[in-house]
Amino acid sequence: MREQRRKDAVWMFLTYAFILTMVVVMLIPLYWMIVAATLPQQEFIEFPPRLIPGTAFLDNFAALQERMNYVVTIWNSVFIAVVYTVLSLLLCSMAGFAFAKYEFRFKEPLFYAILATLVLPIQLLVIPLFLMMSQIGWTDTFRAIIIPWLANPIGIFLMRQNMRSIPDALLESARMDGASELQIFYRIALPAMRSSLAALAIILFLFQWDLFLYPLVILEDPGNYTIPVALAGLEGTQRIYYDQIMVATTLAIIPMAILFLVLQKQFVSGILAGSLKE
Amino acid sequence: MKGTAALGAAALAGCIGTGDPEGGDDETGTESDEMADEIAGWGWDVAARSLELTADEYNDEHDAAVEIEEFGREAMKEDLQTRLASGSGAPEVSMLEMIDGPSYIDTGAVLDITDQIEEADVYDDFVPGVWESLSDGDDIYALPWDIGPTAVFYRRDVYDEHGLDADEIETWDDFIEQGEQLPDDVYMLNLPENDLDGFWRFQFRQLEGEPFTEDGAVNIHSETSLQVAQNIKDLHDAGIASNLEGWSSAWFGAYGDGEIASLPSAAWMEGTLRAELPETEGDWGVYKIPAFESGGARASNWGGSSLMIPDQHESAENNRAWDYIRWTAANEEMQLLMYDEYGLFPALETTFDADIFSEELEFFGGQPAREIFAEVAEEIPSYRFTGDTPEVSQAINDEFQRMLRDDQTPEEAVEAAAETVADNTGRDLA
Repeated sequence: MREQRRKDAVWMFLTYAFILTMVVVMLIPLYWMIVAATLPQQEFIEFPPRLIPGTAFLDNFAALQERMNYVVTIWNSVFIAVVYTVLSLLLCSMAGFAFAKYEFRFKEPLFYAILATLVLPIQLLVIPLFLMMSQIGWTDTFRAIIIPWLANPIGIFLMRQNMRSIPDALLESARMDGASELQIFYRIALPAMRSSLAALAIILFLFQWDLFLYPLVILEDPGNYTIPVALAGLEGTQRIYYDQIMVATTLAIIPMAILFLVLQKQFVSGILAGSLKE
Repeated sequence: MKGTAALGAAALAGCIGTGDPEGGDDETGTESDEMADEIAGWGWDVAARSLELTADEYNDEHDAAVEIEEFGREAMKEDLQTRLASGSGAPEVSMLEMIDGPSYIDTGAVLDITDQIEEADVYDDFVPGVWESLSDGDDIYALPWDIGPTAVFYRRDVYDEHGLDADEIETWDDFIEQGEQLPDDVYMLNLPENDLDGFWRFQFRQLEGEPFTEDGAVNIHSETSLQVAQNIKDLHDAGIASNLEGWSSAWFGAYGDGEIASLPSAAWMEGTLRAELPETEGDWGVYKIPAFESGGARASNWGGSSLMIPDQHESAENNRAWDYIRWTAANEEMQLLMYDEYGLFPALETTFDADIFSEELEFFGGQPAREIFAEVAEEIPSYRFTGDTPEVSQAINDEFQRMLRDDQTPEEAVEAAAETVADNTGRDLA
C-alpha cells in the first residue's frame, strides 16, 4: 500500500517535471521576443544574447510607428477579426442547426460537400477569389477579407455535431407552445451552445488573425494592412529591423491572449462536448 | 507555405493567365506610340528607393506619374505571383531578381520586350553575362538593372597586424596559405552553413560551370562542380573558416571586431558595410576572388536584378512602362545616380568609365575599389538559371553540409545533389 503510494508520488513528480520543462521550452521564445522588444538594436545584436529586459520599448515602438502607422494596423486586424468572428458564428451555428435538426433533400451530400472543402488549401483559393473580388470592385476593402470566409466548414461541422445533442423532444414541445423556428434557434439552441460557441469563436478569430496571403493580395493601401501583412513589409533584403519586428509581434499577441484568457474555460469544454454527447 | 503558393500560382497561370477582365486588347504595345500617364512600379528595400529616385526625375522630365510602391521582399514575391497568375492587378513595372528570372518567364505572364530592346539598340550597352537568365531562347523578357560582380572584402588592419599580404593572394591555395598565418581566434573567412550554395554558385560560375545543359539535364555533378566542392572542403578543413549564420548579429559583430578577416561577396556589400559597420571606415580593402589555378579567371557574379513588365495591360501602359524602365536601367546618368546613392552596381557597361569608378574611397583606405568591381563585371561568365534553381540551392546546401561533417566525400556530395535535383524535377542527369 505504502509502496504504491510512493510509486504514485514519484510518477506524479516526473509528470510535473516533464510538464514544467515543456512549459519552459514553449515560453522561452515568447520571453525572448518580449525582451528583444525592449532592447535597442545595438544591444539586440550582441552575442551571446541578453536575457534581461532593457528600457527601449517605447523608442522601438516610436521608430516602428514612424515607419508605418502600426496602431491603425492593430485596429484593422482587431476590427476585421471581431466582425468576422461574430458574423461567422451566426452563420455557422444556423447552418449547423439546420444540418442537425431539419430534414431536407440532399442534406447528407451537401454536408459532406461542405466538409470536403476542408482539403482545399488557401493558396488554391486565393487566385480565383482575387479575380472575383477585382471583378466586383472589392479589392482593398475589408468586406473582401471577411465575407468569402464566413461559411467556415470547421465551424459548420462543429456546430452540427454539438447541436445534435439537443433533445428533439425539447424542440417539439417548444413548437407545441407556438414558438417560431427562429425563436427556437435563438431561445433554445443558441443558449445551449454557449461553450461550443466560445470554442468556435477562438478558432474563427485565430483563423482570421493569422490570414496572410489572401489579405496581402487583396489589400493595397498600407493604411488598410492587417498585422501579418504589415509584418511582412518590415523585412527587406539587406537590413532587417529586428527591434521593430519584435515590438510589432509582441503587440500582435496581446489581443489574441486576452481573447483566449476570457474564453479559456469554455474553449476546453466546448471542444470536448461534441465527442462526449453523441 | 511559400512553396505551395508559388506552385499554385504557376499551375493556374496556364489556364487563366491570359484572362483579361477589361476585354481589351492584348497587344504588346508596339502598334501605337500612345503612352498612359499613370503607371505603378513595385520593388523592395533599396531597389524600391532607387526606383523612386529615377521616377522623380522621370516624372519631372516627361510629365508622367510613375508611382513606386515599396514592399517586403517575400511579401512582394507572393503578391506579385498571385496577380501575374490571375492575369490582373499586377503593376505595370516590377523588379525581378535575376535568379528568379526563368521561373517568372516560364509562367507566360511577363511581356516579351525583344523588339523594344532591338529598336532602342541597347543590347550591347549591358555586360554580356546577364542576358541568359532573362531570356527564353531568343526572346528577352526583362531589362538588366544591377549586378553583383564578386570580390573579397578584407580587413586591411587585421591582415597588416598578422603579416598577411593581399597582393600575394592569387589562387585559393594562396588564400588558405595566408589564412593559416592568422592566430587561432581570428578566422580568414566565414563559411556559413546556411549559404553554402551561395559559395558554390559564385565559384561554379567563376569556372564557367552551368548547372543545366542546353537540353535541360542536371549538370551539377560535373568535373567543375566537383572542383568547387573540393575547394570549399579544403577551405573548411584548413581550419581557417568560422561558421556564423550570414547576416546575423553575431556575423556583423565578428566583422566589426575583426574576428573574421575576409568576406568573399559582391559589389553591393560595400553599401551594407558602410551602413552597418561605420566605425570600420578606412579598415577595409578589396581584391578579386582568388583563381583556381595561377592565371585562372577571377570574375563571377553574386546577386543582381532586372526590370520587367507584366503582360496584362493595355498597350499605352506597356509603352509608358518600357519608356520608364529604359530611362532607369539603360540610362547612364540614372544608373550612376542609383549606384552613388544606394550602391546598386550598374549592369550598364557603358557607365564603367565614369569618374565614380576611379574615386579613391575613404572607406577602403583610399583604394579605388570600384575599379576592381568594374573590371570583374566585364568578365562575368554567362549562367543558366532555371525555374528549378531553388531545388539546386537546397540540394547543394544539404549535401555540402554533410560533406563538411565528413559524412561523405566531395564526389559523393555532388552526385547526391544532382540525383536529388533530378528526382525532384523529373529532369535527366547529364
